[in-house]
Amino acid sequence: MNLERLPNEEKLSLCRKYYLGGFAFLPFLWLVNVVWFFREAFVKPVYTEQLQIKTYVKRSALGLLLWVAVLTTWITIFQHFRAEWGEVGDYLSFTIPLGIP
Amino acid sequence: MANNAEDVEKNMDQQQANAAPEPPQQQQQQQQQQAQEAATTRARSRGGSGAGGGGDGGGGGGGGGSGTGPEQNGQPPTPRPVVMVDAEEDEDEELTLKYGAKHVIMLFVPVTLCMVVVVATIKSVSFYTQNDGQRLIYTPFPEDTDTVAQRALNSILNATIMITVIIVMTLVLVLLYKYRCYKVIQGWLFLSSLLLLFFFSYIYLKEVFKTYNVAMDYFTLAIIIWNFGVVGMMCIHWKGPLRLQQAYLIMISALMALVFIKYLPEWTAWLILAVISVYDLLAVLCPKGPLRILVETAQERNEPIFPALIYSSTMVWLVNMADTDRPKRNSTEAASSQQETPEAAAAAAAAVVVSPAPSSPSQDDGGFTTSWVNQQQHQLGPLQSTDETRREIQQMPSARPPVEDDDEERGVKLGLGDFIFYSMLVGKASAAASGDWNTTLACFVAILIGLCLTLLLLAIFKKALPALPISIFFGLVFYFATDNLVRPFMDKLALHQFYI
Repeated sequence: MNLERLPNEEKLSLCRKYYLGGFAFLPFLWLVNVVWFFREAFVKPVYTEQLQIKTYVKRSALGLLLWVAVLTTWITIFQHFRAEWGEVGDYLSFTIPLGIP
Repeated sequence: MANNAEDVEKNMDQQQANAAPEPPQQQQQQQQQQAQEAATTRARSRGGSGAGGGGDGGGGGGGGGSGTGPEQNGQPPTPRPVVMVDAEEDEDEELTLKYGAKHVIMLFVPVTLCMVVVVATIKSVSFYTQNDGQRLIYTPFPEDTDTVAQRALNSILNATIMITVIIVMTLVLVLLYKYRCYKVIQGWLFLSSLLLLFFFSYIYLKEVFKTYNVAMDYFTLAIIIWNFGVVGMMCIHWKGPLRLQQAYLIMISALMALVFIKYLPEWTAWLILAVISVYDLLAVLCPKGPLRILVETAQERNEPIFPALIYSSTMVWLVNMADTDRPKRNSTEAASSQQETPEAAAAAAAAVVVSPAPSSPSQDDGGFTTSWVNQQQHQLGPLQSTDETRREIQQMPSARPPVEDDDEERGVKLGLGDFIFYSMLVGKASAAASGDWNTTLACFVAILIGLCLTLLLLAIFKKALPALPISIFFGLVFYFATDNLVRPFMDKLALHQFYI
């Protein structure tokens, strides 16, 4: 889909939908939002809806960073302590690696 | 989503009524004129627009200036030149071929990527080459029999069953389309892409983690699968960035090909490939072929065929920016240029339905018990694996006045079934061949050559063509030749340290 060809209102609406959608545990959607609308929000010369698009992109980026932080922390904790947690660790694991931890 | 697609179609009707599409049985003169117009358009816009390809879409970008750099923003498009009346055959042909050549390149990349993904997975994740004794229900006859004759018979039977299933599915699809049961078709497509994006990617991920001996917890896994699936559904069925959509299509084709590679026994797989290419040829080219009927019905109705599961090298199918404001003529016109006209509308549909889960899950079935799997099959209904109809290539329409088009906007479409079967061939070659990389590379090259030829034919004939036959034929020939002739030869040479 080529953003160039969209009228501005539709760009804004699309950006907003992607932003709102990201709240459903979808940081990937926020990432797509940021990357896709980055040029629109920051590089293009000003047009009416640009300010709002900028807000959405910024908030998506914020949300994304938050998610990345949370996920990284959780993954680090899990990988590090999985073996020590014994049963709970196994219960949480989807795949359990072979060999001695 | 279904509504969206329908609106798409309705609006397509309106636009196409305006745009006066031409039936494929055009006269040569018209074709030449069109090609020339297209040529001149291309020539001009090639100079003009930047990589964003939105040069003339600048007008569509809305009043507020949209322009940077080389794009012709905010300015009215340069006026069309007068169509050259005198047909300069050579120039025309050259441009047609150049046009074809560019699209060949545009299709090489995704096809190659898909094959690379499949081959990489086959080589690293042993799951897809293990014979767990499971089979699809469409290939009930086992191939580990005592005699060669029995094996041959079984594989022929399997292939027959599979082809019959595919033919039936195609006919059902055509009937549904003819009697305007669009919702059913869209629901079907939606469900099958859902299955592919969630279930098969889950299995894929599980096997990859097992192969690399990585621990993964359910929480992170859920987040990953959920994100992958939902964004995939959005990109494919709704609106999303083009590159992401292309990436998703490649990924689901690869997943599907992997399923086929795993669950189809050896000889059956090769037979199926051969028979499917023949079927494809017949279905698309014969006057009574189901796919041809589909194409013609779509043309009669001035509608695009199913807006799902066709890989488009430039614009996305479902992008119908124009379904809201008619007054924004610039954007609608620009938009309509990238959409299907009936000519191009033969994008065959995906009857992507995916095969149900194997009936006897393996030891580590990831928590899915047999009963769950059966229940899933039951709930999802008789989803069956077919990819028949996706085998058509089309050209985007050549320029229609006053539509602005540049090279990048006019793309080539390739059905996802083609991706799947190409990758399946190469994947099987890498899995099964004794010649290993030689054979794989030979098949890869063969398929690309076949694709080139097909696109060349497309540029010459300008109508929907089956993409499978030439490539698969070459692929099969190269596979068997390399495996049985070249490889022993190379081995002998290496053995005797004889360099040629």
